[in-house]
Amino acid sequence: MARLRFVGWLVVVLGLVGGRAARAADAEVETTVETEEKARPWYVPGHAAMQLAGSIGFTSAGPGWSFLEEAVEAEVMLGWAPRAIAGADFVTLTLKGRWNPFRLRYGNWTFRPLSVGGMFSYTFGGDYFLSQPGRYPDGYYWFRTALRPALILGASVGHSARTFDLDRVEAYAELVATDFRLVQFYHNPATVKTGIVSLALGARLRF
Amino acid sequence: MLALLVAACGVFEFHPYEIRGGEESLNAKALARLPRHDPERPFRFAVIGDIQLFLDDSADAVDDLARRDVDLVVQMGDLTEYGTAQEYEWVARLLEKIPAPTFAIVGNHDLMGKGGLLYQRTFGPTFQSFDYQGSRFVLFDSNSLEYGFSGEVPDVARLREALMSGPARRHTFTFSHVPPGHPDFDPDLTEPVEALQAEAGVTISFHAHTHRYASDVRRGVRYFVADALESRNYLLVTVVGDSVDVERVYY
Repeated sequence: MARLRFVGWLVVVLGLVGGRAARAADAEVETTVETEEKARPWYVPGHAAMQLAGSIGFTSAGPGWSFLEEAVEAEVMLGWAPRAIAGADFVTLTLKGRWNPFRLRYGNWTFRPLSVGGMFSYTFGGDYFLSQPGRYPDGYYWFRTALRPALILGASVGHSARTFDLDRVEAYAELVATDFRLVQFYHNPATVKTGIVSLALGARLRF
Repeated sequence: MLALLVAACGVFEFHPYEIRGGEESLNAKALARLPRHDPERPFRFAVIGDIQLFLDDSADAVDDLARRDVDLVVQMGDLTEYGTAQEYEWVARLLEKIPAPTFAIVGNHDLMGKGGLLYQRTFGPTFQSFDYQGSRFVLFDSNSLEYGFSGEVPDVARLREALMSGPARRHTFTFSHVPPGHPDFDPDLTEPVEALQAEAGVTISFHAHTHRYASDVRRGVRYFVADALESRNYLLVTVVGDSVDVERVYY
């Protein structure tokens, strides 16, 4: 059941991306970013993100939405790690949320020195469970192997890219602290040390 | 340049259960490092319990073991809490600090997600049998509940072969995570396994899982359950001829 729900979400997300692309193709007159932002309904993605690593796949990509002048952002990422690289195929669907308290501008450059956020990542497949399989007594395991919460600390740098018909292109780096790393660090700081985080690198294209 | 690339790969994680890099075949490597056979010499080995969320306590156990004269060490499973690649790496690095050859068996937590594959890559097959100083050591998977009580875990046929075959020996020691008779041990296999261990004259059957020390005798076989390492003790077994002494060592 849980898996069906996620597939449903995925279809909705892909539909929205497709709709956005078609809308852009139809537009004959070039509009300014401001008026387009106002004209754009909230559910139409304002950017797309692509990422390397970060515990949600070798690569992942998906649409994103911005609110409150990009102070609050969300992304839905579909991730994949192929067997050749990760020893087994992993497919994930991740919901990311982020708060960008600062934004610095310098000419065509935009800097966000600090972003804090979180994510929930769902891994598809029979080896993982969202609700504990019936063979276990209630509460046998206190976590869900299919659903992985994580905290994110990030920074990004962007540059306007009007020649590519984009508002801006950004590169970002994130430190991802998954649940098991946080829990192990809490109990075992001396052993875990810097192993509390792994690194993600990515790019965002803002329409 | 290559070293830099390898180091850089360490900071990336493609998935928590990725099977990539890390240590390999540690049990086979431990076997190759066993001291030379000398039947006249008494020997000692240590049995350490669940690690899970007790990595720092386990690090102290490792320090203590490094100062002690033991021939080999067996960790009793539940090396990890979530069965993830990163946890396997932490534990492998920790156990490597023990100077004596160290074996690890598989626990239920180690099998979560793709943990079973991670165990096999990091430590090797879940079933292992070897002889040392005229005694036989048999390590096996008894996490029946993880397999939905399939009737195949533990593998009684393989256990029988390992216990009954080969030349006469002084002692036989078996090691598996879940003790027979525990609710997580296949209820249909408790009787066959206990009967088999009695028939084979097993000296001691070692277990963990409950996190609580226990010791009893069933059908003439001694059963020990090691404390989890958060209780900061492990079992030290001294074998002198026919006598086998088990003590709890606090650190």
